Order: sequence, then C-alpha cells, then structure tokens
Amino acid sequence: MRWLGAFVLLAALPFFLGDYHNDVYRKMLLWVTLALGYNFLFGICGQVAFSHFAFYGIGAYSVVILLFQLNVPLPLAIVLGVAVCIVVALAVAIPSTRLEGFYLALATLALAQLFVVLLNEGGSVTGGNGGIANYRLPDIFGVRIRGPWYTAVICALLVGTYALLWRLDRSWFGRACRAVRDNPEAAAAMGVDVARTKVIAFTLTSALAGVAGMVYAFVDNTVNPPIFGLDNAFLLLFMVIVGGAGRHAGAVIGAALLFLLPFFLSPIVGHHHVLVFGVLVVAAILLQPKGLIGLFDFMRKSS
Amino acid sequence: MKTRILEVRSLSKRFGGLTAVTNLDFDVFEGEILGVIGPNGAGKSTTFNLIAGAHAASGGEVRFAGEPILGLPPHKIAARGVMRTFQHNRPFVGMTVLENILVGAHTRFHMGVFFSKARNEEAQRRRRADELIEFVGLGDCRDADVATLSFGQGRLLEIARALAGEPKLMLFDEPAAGLAPAELERVAGVLRGIAARGIAVLLIEHDMHFLLPLAHRVVVLNFGAKIADGLPDEIRANPAVTNAYLGSHAPAR
Repeated sequence: MRWLGAFVLLAALPFFLGDYHNDVYRKMLLWVTLALGYNFLFGICGQVAFSHFAFYGIGAYSVVILLFQLNVPLPLAIVLGVAVCIVVALAVAIPSTRLEGFYLALATLALAQLFVVLLNEGGSVTGGNGGIANYRLPDIFGVRIRGPWYTAVICALLVGTYALLWRLDRSWFGRACRAVRDNPEAAAAMGVDVARTKVIAFTLTSALAGVAGMVYAFVDNTVNPPIFGLDNAFLLLFMVIVGGAGRHAGAVIGAALLFLLPFFLSPIVGHHHVLVFGVLVVAAILLQPKGLIGLFDFMRKSS
Repeated sequence: MKTRILEVRSLSKRFGGLTAVTNLDFDVFEGEILGVIGPNGAGKSTTFNLIAGAHAASGGEVRFAGEPILGLPPHKIAARGVMRTFQHNRPFVGMTVLENILVGAHTRFHMGVFFSKARNEEAQRRRRADELIEFVGLGDCRDADVATLSFGQGRLLEIARALAGEPKLMLFDEPAAGLAPAELERVAGVLRGIAARGIAVLLIEHDMHFLLPLAHRVVVLNFGAKIADGLPDEIRANPAVTNAYLGSHAPAR
C-alpha cells in the first residue's frame, strides 16, 4: 500500500509539468533508480564497481537492437535484454570476486571502457558514434504510451526497484551483504558464502541497471555512446557517497541533489559544476562519511 | 555413552620449515568442554584455524559427526554445524546486536526472500535471537549499534552470534583474553550453559586459571605436539605441564 501511494504521488506530478520540466523530472527519476541499485552494491554489499552505466547501456542497446533490427516482440526483447545483462554480469563477477581486493573494480572499469569502444565501433548494429535514433516504443495492446504516461512507467520502475531492494535489505540476504562488507572473514565463519553473495549482489544490481536502461531507451527515443561512459559511472558513485552510502534514502537524496544542482549552478559557474561536485565529495568523505542522510540523522537526534 | 562429535587424527601443519602442529589426536564429545592449553607458540591457534577451515592442513584428518571436514571452506564448515568465535572480537559494525546475531543464524534461513513464508521464518529467527540475547545477558543492548558495546559485551555478542547458527560444536579462541574478572565469571557461566545444552565445546585457552575449573577434559600442547591429556586435576599434577609453562627448574605449585 505504501509503495502504491508513493507511485501515485510520483506519477501524478508530471501531469502538472510542462514538457521541459517533465523531461528533467524523468531523468532525475532514472538517476535515482540507478543510485538505489548502485547503493545496494557499493553501500550495502561494499563492492566497488564502475560498470553500472555499462549495464544501463547494455539494457538500452539490447532492447533497441532486438526490437528494431531483429524484430523481436517487446516482451521477449525485455526478457532477452535482462538475460544479456545477467550473462555479462556473471562473466565479470565470477572470476573477479574469487580474489580479494580491487579486482572487481578493475574488471568493471575495463568492462565500462570496452563497452563504449564497442558501441563506437559497432558499425550498423550499434550505429557507431551517432548511436541509434528514429524509433519509438511499440504500441502495447494498441495503446501508445507517451508524455506523462511514459513518466508513470519510469515511476513504476523506481518504486519497484526501491521496494525490491528494501525487502532484500531487510532479509537474511541483506544482512549477509552487510556482513560481507564489514568483515568477510567473520561473515564466512557465520556460514555466509562470501564470493557467492558478492556475485549475486553484483548480478542483481547490474540487471536492475539494465532494466532501467531499457526504460531510458524510450525517454529520448535515441541511444548514443557518451551517456554510458565512465563519467556518469563516477557521478553515480559521487551521488551515493554524498547522499550517504548504505542507506536507500541517502541514495535518493544524493541522486536528486547532484542531478538538479547543475541546473541551479550553471547560471553562476557555467560548466564548472563538476568542480563543486568534487568539493562536495571530498567534504562528505572528510566531514560526514555517513553523507547527507547521516547529517540529517544527527540534526534530528540533537533537536 | 556420549556421542563423539569431533575426531582429530594425526593433524599436522607445516609453515615452510616450521612445524606448527604435529600428529595431533583428540576427540570432543557432545555436551563436553574440552580445553586445549599450552604456552604461547604451542600451536593452539593453528589447531583452531585448521578445524575451522581458515588454514589448510598439511596432513591428517578431522571428522565432524562422522564426516570429514578438512579442506572445506569456512562457510561450509559453519553450515555443517561448527560455529566459532574470534580471539579479537569481530562484530559487524553498523548493525545492531540483534542484526549481528541474525547474521549468525544465516545458515538456518531456508526460505527465498520473496516467498510469503519468509516472513514467518524471519519472525521465528528473531524470537530465537531474542532468547540468545537474554541467555548471554545483553538484553539491555538488543537494538544498540555494536560500536557502543564494551569489550566484554562484544565478547558475549561473539558467543551469542555463533550460538545462533545452532551448532553441534562450538570453537572458542581464547574467550578469556582481555576480560576483567567479573566478565570472566560471566563468560564462564555462559560456556557452562552452552555445554549444558548438549553442545560440544572446544576451548582454546592460554589462561590455565580460567580453563581448569571450566573444562571437563584438557589437552596440553607444547611445540605443536600433545604432551598430556586428562582431567583438569590430572593436568594440574602433571610435571610435564608445569615444566612446559614454568620451565623445568621452577618449583611445582
């Protein structure tokens, strides 16, 4: 019921927004969705990965290629797109989580770079530098979903992702993830299969990023390589750190804030808002490692 | 006749040229506290880590409930019903006492997260965890962040967390280390209570004054080999043990 209420509220808003604000709103919701998934991997399970935007891109490109180059029906395209994400995630995670330390970070960094190269060099399949454009969401039961109604689809994605991760976090699996983050040796002594927990957390959050990518593919009705590169992967990491790693609410606040901040900053500092982000991240790490949500808790406790 | 839970046979461990444990044999029975003592460097902790799966053995055999467990990774040994504590407390920080104990119960969860029965299972495990919190005497800090616990409370948490896995055998690595006298009493009481539940207890300990009144049987190690075993009173009277601890020229106490 709570989730349904949140969905209705979020989905109602765009009906009162203009086209431009609706577009900003949609992109903010997508960032929040991605940040929620990344927070589960980085903040809750303690695994550093840079491939989240690569999976976002794998989801987006797969669904577009499957639908419009291979003429696969939409439901099957979605299933296959998720399957591609899962296979790639397993292929990266299984070898790299067997080793302690930074191997997952390195492997995902390589994957993120490789993916953008593949997109640029993919010829007619990926459309190269220009990507793929001039398609639109197929009609579902004869209905064309667009405008604020498509924003409702994004709201459903966000609320669904939140509900899924919230439930997982409060289960034995979520506790196992936190235990793996805090002390892998003690986690293993408690019977937690550390490597397997990491693989599941990585694969699950990567698949969620892939699903978000599929939804993104029909926001602008174009997919092109720069979106899915490392810049955005790092921005996602910043969002989670600034908001408060390990907390769902922190991911929401961090993502919304860092996404919206450039709109307010650009009249003042132009395109140098990245500098402000850098300062924010350093400040968060040095002064408030629990992020904005930690600051919020602190203020609530002391008042 | 009590059931034999753990059988250790010819267990050996070499680190390069150093032999840490040599041809070690002993058994642990259900409901019994077996103490393993010895001076620093006797191979106590190595023995412990071999049984818990943290180190790979160089030779020998360890059977738990009749099944060989040597060579299994730590999480599989835990899943069989062997739970351990750490010499230096290793709580999961950022979680409450209750949540830490629920991690200890990890291997007792069988329901997929999204099945409706998972709620019942979670509720049942939480009730069990509450009982364990009362059993070790941490009732006042059930929902406290573990970072706020004292060292002694942290040790009790280690014990409750391991108990939550419903073990048949518990391994304690120097549970008395660093504790104040009042806390020692409390830990000793908890260990007796665990044995009284029928759980086999393997207690590695440096401190003879803590261990001898507590253990039902004692194995003494020196330089990686067993030099004596028997009842606590026999161990007290054994000159080989006194020599190992105090040197051969010291007067017997």
